[in-house]
Amino acid sequence: MTIEDCYNTLYLSVTIGMLILVGAMVIRSIIGPRITDRILSINMLGTMVICTIAILSQYLGESYLVDVALIYAMISFATVLILAIMFLPVKPKEPKFPGFTLKNGQAAGKEAEK
Amino acid sequence: MIFEWIRFFIVAALLIAALISFASAVFGAYRFGFVMNRMHSAGIGDTLGIFFIVTALCIASGFNMDTLKLLLLIFFMWFTSPVSTHFLGQVEYYTNPDLSKHVQRIGGMLGDEKTEAELKKNPDKEAEDGAD
Repeated sequence: MTIEDCYNTLYLSVTIGMLILVGAMVIRSIIGPRITDRILSINMLGTMVICTIAILSQYLGESYLVDVALIYAMISFATVLILAIMFLPVKPKEPKFPGFTLKNGQAAGKEAEK
Repeated sequence: MIFEWIRFFIVAALLIAALISFASAVFGAYRFGFVMNRMHSAGIGDTLGIFFIVTALCIASGFNMDTLKLLLLIFFMWFTSPVSTHFLGQVEYYTNPDLSKHVQRIGGMLGDEKTEAELKKNPDKEAEDGAD
């Protein structure tokens, strides 16, 4: 058994282990009770897929798969950020200066200017 | 030849450590009951797991262009993981109605008393916020 066979066996077994964990995260994202659970599961799943692609680039000897992993990381980050901003409500308006009080949801200073 | 085998065992140990950290992240995602606890276990996989994987692959491949790309990957992941976790926490804070069962904020939850007082003053404020 040469050392390259050992490397191939190692990469293959770690890839299969990551595949099982990715399947577990898919089930977690299906049963997650709230929307944040699902987004978080997708985030973790993306990280695991990135690691799997990085291992596969060594296993197959194709260096361009690392570029694919980088692009996947960027898309995963954009997905989480866009979904989070989509579900984020409009924040409650706070008065800018401590003397102002909230009246009908607007700062009282604007009425004074008028 | 012996150095090749030493390198192989270092790579194997790092990859198995990465697998263990990802497994603990998945275990935490199933074990914890609230999403802000799950963020903690997700952070293990996002930082430690990807660190072990990238270190193992850098040692295995030697120094070439792939090493720099993998280091760029770890740099990118370590900067983006806290940002996405922060946004998820914000979404959870502003959208969960039963938040006070799980978390406690020193000085009271943000906007609890104020919004209640506003709703008493004019009850149709909620409709206005929904229209926004």
